[in-house]
Formats: sequence, C-alpha cells, structure tokens
Amino acid sequence: MDDDLIVCRCEEVTVGDVKRAIEQGAFDVSGVKRRTRAGMGQCQGRTCETLIRGILASELSKRPDEFRLDTVRPPLSPVTFKTLAGGYDE
Amino acid sequence: MSKVCDVIVVGCGVIGAAITYYLSASGMEVVAVEENDVGSGTSSRCDGNVLVIDKKPGFDCELALKSQELFETLEDDISFDVEYRQLGSVLAVETEAQAEGAAQWHSAMSRSGVRVKYIESSDVHAHEPMLAQDIVGLFECASDSSLNPMNLVYGYVLAAQNNGAVIKTRTKAKRLLLDTQHHIKGVETSEGTILAPLVVISAGVWTPQIVRTCGVDVPIVPRKGHIIVSERTFKVASRKIQEFGYIMAKFGEEGQRDVEPEMEKYGIAMVFEPTPHENFLIGSSREFAGFDTTCNMEVVSLMAKRAIRFFPCIEDVRVIRTYAGLRPYTQDHRPIISKVDQVPGLYIASGHEGDGIGLAPITGLLVSEMLLGCTPSVPLEPLSLNRFM
Ligand SMILES: Cc1cc2nc3c(=O)[nH]c(=O)nc-3n(C[C@H](O)[C@H](O)[C@H](O)COP(=O)(O)OP(=O)(O)OC[C@H]3O[C@@H](n4cnc5c(N)ncnc54)[C@H](O)[C@@H]3O)c2cc1C
Repeated sequence: MDDDLIVCRCEEVTVGDVKRAIEQGAFDVSGVKRRTRAGMGQCQGRTCETLIRGILASELSKRPDEFRLDTVRPPLSPVTFKTLAGGYDE
Repeated sequence: MSKVCDVIVVGCGVIGAAITYYLSASGMEVVAVEENDVGSGTSSRCDGNVLVIDKKPGFDCELALKSQELFETLEDDISFDVEYRQLGSVLAVETEAQAEGAAQWHSAMSRSGVRVKYIESSDVHAHEPMLAQDIVGLFECASDSSLNPMNLVYGYVLAAQNNGAVIKTRTKAKRLLLDTQHHIKGVETSEGTILAPLVVISAGVWTPQIVRTCGVDVPIVPRKGHIIVSERTFKVASRKIQEFGYIMAKFGEEGQRDVEPEMEKYGIAMVFEPTPHENFLIGSSREFAGFDTTCNMEVVSLMAKRAIRFFPCIEDVRVIRTYAGLRPYTQDHRPIISKVDQVPGLYIASGHEGDGIGLAPITGLLVSEMLLGCTPSVPLEPLSLNRFM
C-alpha cells in the first residue's frame, strides 16, 4: 500500500502515519488510534478500523482477524447534547 | 535469565513516562515495564489541562506552578509536539453569593503566588460570548494551559528511548523481589525477572496491588470520571472554562451550588475544554465505583445537562463519543512521591487524582532528585507515604 493513501478521512491519517505508529510501538488497533487519531473523528472508526487491522497484520506478520476491534464507546450514533441531557433512553 | 539495570520503573502512563525520561536524562540505565501499551491506562482517558487555578492555595499551588514552569521548555527539551497551548483558564461564577464567598479564596491564591483576575458581570460576555446570560463573573488565570496527554506520553517515551531507556510493553509486574535485608532487589514480571537496586512504582490506580506484594499498603483508590466528546463544530470558547461552584465545594468553602441531589451524588461539575481539532470535551464527574470503566449513561446525561446550563448554544451540537477513566485518588488530593521506609530502594510516584497530566514534569524531576540524592525542588514531606500512617 502507498504510504500517502488516506486511511482515516475524518482525521486525515495516512498509511504512512499508521506504519510509523507501529514502528513506534503500537501493537493493536487502540494503540494506532491513540498515536495517530485515526478513528477518533466523526465516524468513530467505522471505515478505518478494518484498514488499520490490515496494516497491523502486514507490518507485524499476523492475520487481520488476530486484531480485536477497538472497544465501542457509546453513543453508537451521534446524538445531540439536548437529547443526551433529556435522558439517554428517551 | 535476569536482566540487570540501575532502576526499574513499573507502569508507563504519563507519570512513568516522565520518570523514565528524567532518570534516563540523568544518565541512569532505566528499564520501564508496562502491562499493556504505554499510556493505555488513565492517561488516555482524561483531559489535558495543566492548571493551578483549581489547586488548594499553599503547597499544592507551589507544586503546580513548578510543573507549569517545566512545561514552558518541554517541547524543546523532548523535541516533540505535545499541542501545548498556554491560553489561560477561566472559572465561571454563577451567583453573587458565590462571588462574595470567593473573596477569601482569591486572596489566598494571591498569597500563593497565583495571579487570578476577576472579570465583572458587565464584561463577562465580551470575554466569553457563548456563556449563559446569567453568569455573573469570571476568574481568569493566565498561566494555565492545555495539551494533548497522549502526545505527552509518547513524547516522553521517545525522548527516554533516545537517552537509552528500555521500555517493555506487554510486560506485567507480578511481584516485587526483596533481599534478605528487606531491600528491593528487582521485579518478577510476566516476561522474566529484572534485577535492580532501585524500583519506582508508577502504576496509577494499580500501584497498591503491586506494592502489597511486599506487604506495604498504599492508600490510593480509583475515582471514576466521565468525558463527553463533541463533533467538530463552531467555536464555543477558545480556552478552558470550568464552573466556579465546584472549586468551592471541593475545598469546603462558602457559596455552595444550587443543584439537584443526583448532580452532587456523582460530583457533576461543568468543565469545558476546546481541542485544536475544532471540537471540545465536556467533563466532569467524580464517583467511587471500583475499577469499572464502562460509561454510566445516567452520569453522562447529567453532565450534558450541566454543560447546557453554562453553554446553551451547544444544545444541538452532536456528541460523538463518551468514555470514563480512573483517577488515582488519595485522601488529601495530593500525590504520593516518596520512598518506602519499610523497603529501602523502593519508591512510589502515584495518586495524582485529577492532576497527573499537569504534575507529570515535576513528578519526574522530583523522583530523579530523590534517586540521585539531590536537593528536591519542593519539600518532599507533604508528598510522603508516611503522612497517611
Ligand atoms: C476524566 C478524567 C479527566 C482528567 N483530566 C485531567 C486534566 O485535565 N489534567 C490533569 O492533569 N489530569 C487529569 N486527569 C488525571 C490524570 O489522567 C491522571 O492523574 C494521570 O493520567 C495518572 O497517570 P499515571 O501514569 O499515574 O496512571 P496511568 O496512566 O493509569 O498509568 C499506569 C500504568 O500502569 C500500568 N500497570 C498497571 N499495573 C501494572 C503492572 N502490574 N505491571 C506493569 N504495568 C502496570 C497500566 O497499564 C498503566 O498504563 C483526569 C483523569 C480523568 C479520569
């Protein structure tokens, strides 16, 4: 994969950024996210997590399914502050 | 095979990373062991405020001011961008009664060398136009700043590695090893034994369980806090804004808040922090709920409500994520940066509660001064483990 390729559109993180994070010690999806901000934006990693797993697998010579997806942090889809303040279940 | 070095640092959150950096900079051979990844504990579940405005007047302010001084040259020292922004911070006063109750606090802060300026109601909205109309005043502290806590961890780690420190991730400290004289000898880890005459435990809320393996109790407990992350949006405010009533409540002064019992139960207080990524973080909550880091949506809902009370304009802004972290709490809200008298060679640097990011540099410096036998930058007595005995 080309290093300039964008992995995470929301935070504009490239393949090269992810590779550098792995070089600096990231060994799982959360470690890559914390080092690059990939997956921290609007879509919360819905598209980039699979790509990150792929890069982790090829850089660390493992299978993509050996990497767990990052923990889901609610809300599952964006809600407004007003909705949240009114009670999460309403 | 056992590995031998000068000093072992156990736990590599922001505190362990700072210590590893300072010790390696002084020429010591350091091995840091981290159970998971560097910064994977509380240090990646927090805000990045470097504040003196919320510290108790006196020693706590002195400690925070010293740390702020160290931040001023930090990015050059470690050659790393930590998104350090010295924009000052603001406390928003809700009522006249609160403002009156604040007089004593304000002068105590001045005596502690913290310059805090009061902004009258007529000027509040010239400074912070998005704040609710009924906010009666602001206290402003210009030396306060914010940064990206993860970058701080990685910056310290990379600089320490550059100095020759070895950082072993996915390596869990299982037991502390003592010699026949009850001196520290090393650490038994999941990846083998490491020997060193000096060991520093900087494992945040997990420090007590490690130190208990040599029979010493450390009074640190997890105090859970939640954070709400907004989407990218318009500029709500460009600096850190906290509600004032909370500070007063924290120090048990006059001018308590008029809020629902649930808000008090979960210690909800509005904390607003803008990020350089065009979004903002909202805090805060404080509760003793063990080691559980799952989000309590009742708490998050109350935090959202409290945030809207101060910033009505954020009603329709969307929330993209919420998370919770565990502050390493001590009874007097001060960290333990101390030798352990019962076990010569063993040191503790944990218990920074809600201030570990801001106090990381001074903690690293103090630990290196202790280990090298230099005169400490601040008196160590108020930080000693003995104060709880
Ligand atoms: C919601 C929230 C907001 C906050 N906001 C701020 C703020 O704005 N400003 C501020 O200054 N502070 C803030 N804090 C406080 C700050 O986050 C903490 O004080 C700080 O992160 C503590 O750092 P630490 O290195 O002591 O702990 P941690 O970051 O938890 O590091 C401890 C490390 O030890 C490792 N470990 C545990 N057991 C073992 C073992 N047996 N062997 C090896 N390693 C082990 C863990 O994996 C972990 O990485 C906030 C905290 C919370 C929860």
